[in-house]
Amino acid sequence: MTAFSLYDKTSTFSGVYVMFMVNRLQMLYFILIMPSYLVHPYMIWGIIVIGILSQINLTILSKWFASDYSAKGYQGFVELFSERAVRFFAFAGLFLIVVKITVITLGYVEVVHKFMYPSMDKKWLILFILLVSCYVAAQGMEKTIRFVVIAFLSTVWIALVYFSFFFPPIASLYDLYPLIPVDWSMHSWKGLLFIWSSLSGPEYLICLVPWLNSKQKMLKYLTIANAMSVLEYLLLFVASLLFFGSNYLSKSKFPVIDMIRYLQSPVFDRIDIILISVHMFHFVFAISIFLLYFYGAVRIIVGRLHEQTTRIGFMTSCITIFICMIIVK
Amino acid sequence: MFWKKSRSKAEHGKNEPRNTAQAAVTIDALRHTVANMDDAEIIERNTKNDQKVTLLYIRTLIDQERLNEAIIEPLTRCSQDTIYECIAASKVSKIITLEEAQKQLMLGSVLLNDSLQNQWWAARLENPLSRAIETSQTETILYGPKDSFSEEVEQNITMIRSRIPLTTLKTEKFTVGSLSKTTVVLMYIEGLINPEFISIARNKLSTIDFDLFLDSSHIATFMEDHTHSVFPQFQQTDRPDVCAFSLGIGKLTLLVDNTPFALVAPMTFFHLFQSPEDYIHRWLVASFLRCIRYISYFLSITTVPLYVALTTHHYQMIPLEIFSVLLESRSKLPLTPFWEAFLMLITLEIIREASLRMPTKSGQTLGVIGGIVIGQATVEAGFVSKVLIVVVGISAIASFLVPNYLMTKSTTLIQFAFLILSSFLGVLGIVFGMIGLLAHLNALTSLKQPYFAPVAPFYGKDWIDLFIRGPLHWMKTRPEHLRPLQKWRYNRRR
Repeated sequence: MTAFSLYDKTSTFSGVYVMFMVNRLQMLYFILIMPSYLVHPYMIWGIIVIGILSQINLTILSKWFASDYSAKGYQGFVELFSERAVRFFAFAGLFLIVVKITVITLGYVEVVHKFMYPSMDKKWLILFILLVSCYVAAQGMEKTIRFVVIAFLSTVWIALVYFSFFFPPIASLYDLYPLIPVDWSMHSWKGLLFIWSSLSGPEYLICLVPWLNSKQKMLKYLTIANAMSVLEYLLLFVASLLFFGSNYLSKSKFPVIDMIRYLQSPVFDRIDIILISVHMFHFVFAISIFLLYFYGAVRIIVGRLHEQTTRIGFMTSCITIFICMIIVK
Repeated sequence: MFWKKSRSKAEHGKNEPRNTAQAAVTIDALRHTVANMDDAEIIERNTKNDQKVTLLYIRTLIDQERLNEAIIEPLTRCSQDTIYECIAASKVSKIITLEEAQKQLMLGSVLLNDSLQNQWWAARLENPLSRAIETSQTETILYGPKDSFSEEVEQNITMIRSRIPLTTLKTEKFTVGSLSKTTVVLMYIEGLINPEFISIARNKLSTIDFDLFLDSSHIATFMEDHTHSVFPQFQQTDRPDVCAFSLGIGKLTLLVDNTPFALVAPMTFFHLFQSPEDYIHRWLVASFLRCIRYISYFLSITTVPLYVALTTHHYQMIPLEIFSVLLESRSKLPLTPFWEAFLMLITLEIIREASLRMPTKSGQTLGVIGGIVIGQATVEAGFVSKVLIVVVGISAIASFLVPNYLMTKSTTLIQFAFLILSSFLGVLGIVFGMIGLLAHLNALTSLKQPYFAPVAPFYGKDWIDLFIRGPLHWMKTRPEHLRPLQKWRYNRRR
């Protein structure tokens, strides 16, 4: 049996991979639920403002990429904080990673359950998604990072489908008014915070620095990725406003998905079934990279970072996450 | 414990060949070597000086005419002191050990004993069993070079050398197989190819340990990085132009004796969709054809599973007009969509395999049985729906568009896996399968190089010759993912 090496490093990845990863991690939540939290047309400005704030976060992240400590990987963190503190951070990070995996998996399972298999037990869907994510993650960190190209190319085109909502008879310019807020409620604040939280995700890249090409200027790629995400947010939000109107937008639980149910193609009706399924590429990539983070964090906590990774250890991590998800569900 | 140890020692001793490496060549030892070999000949001739010369050769391995012309006639007329000066063969070598003599004998040499000097000589007079240069049967093209490799490795090298007349085109010879002693020639362009590929190939070739190699695919099996994958990790081709092109872009080629199929590595998944004809057509036409191939591959693995997914889980996806046709077609069927499709695919595979094994003249009969009896009769009998026959037909024809035959076979297995997934989870199952397939391709390597390049890892510049075939003058650099030492394809950079 060949050695099971998950964290090998034989080559470094260019900024293009960072761009793809940042964009896909930022698009995890929005596609599912976001427009129903934004509702008002003036939230278009909210998306842009939060996009600029997110850019500040990414600038800080790029500074970390350029620092000497980051290139050393785990040792760099130890030099900065001490081993005990790094173990503590890893322990705290475990919970955040579990929450992240649980939220995105259950969110996606909810969509699949509602639109595709209403009578199927959700546990099976969770199991299948986790299984395929485990398979991707089991190929190792290098190949999982590489998988982002496949995930990106498989899902990025879906945004183009929403262009048809920009044209009459669906589109009516009046649905985009008022662009200036006439009142500001707690719901609006929640909406802004929600955009900010959904633009999160790239911060997890701080642990991937040893796999990234340190010679490249990452800020350029981070900026492009952030701009792409903001544009996609705007595209989807404006499309959902034009389709539902702000009065009805809050009534739909999954507006972005609901909209595509009304699109017709000459070959298939209900193309939402295909599009929801294709979205899984994106989620599987995110879950698999977080699974590797989880197992890595466990190894730091138990002090076995310099030992060979094991199949049993990795599978135990996956099973733990599966149990957590079943409990949360 | 001791018993085991002593037995293993005894067995080891039994299997060990007799130490003939340093044994001297004698006529008795050679007689013992060729005992019970009906085609072995030992003859004696006298020279003009009345010197006795013993000749030993394997009749079936040598060229008898050349034996007379180059050895027997010159010997009988010879008045020189040594027989080396008499014989007219071009490749003559001195033989010292018995092992060397045995090797030369089996390579088609005539062994000559100079009794006066007590010296043995070997003159190579092998009878090249080579067929004429023919058109490739596996990679047929309408335009372009028509020659293909034969079983003679030297001839194959000549065909490549005539296309790349460079001294930097290197050939390294290896012998593999304890029984077959198969010659493998490693070819590459020095100073162009990434040296890492050569060292990996050398290392792999020198560590091969098996008895019999009858085809290049056997060699590939021992050199592959992933034994359990359905995807070929070495490109097999019998076209010299494909080999020359591959060498020119920074790959290496392995020519194997007694087989017309050369191995090209490192290969990627996308090379399986490229045909030599792509570079002959106009670039727009070639790009269109290449896109059609990718679409066909996708169709061949998804069409039948999609039929099962739609008819089992997602009736709502089928437009009303098609739905009524499907409903009418499926209303009286006794089988579920999965079993209906599964049995149909199995039947198709049986017909396919039979058509390959049957004599050409029986092919028509098979077509009639396959097309009319199995196709039409099963529909009329109510075992399968008409729609499925159409779907299976499209899928089968689409699978033949992939230029690589080995790939066509692997699609069948993938199709069955997708079929099972689609019967459980519908469209979602197909996407599960697709993710698994792409993750697998992403993890594969050929000669330790990524198999899914230039997509993952991402090499944007190489996309000019990936899904499309861009104009040749736009392809200014060699594929980046092969990391060649000479990046530019132009002598003068424009």
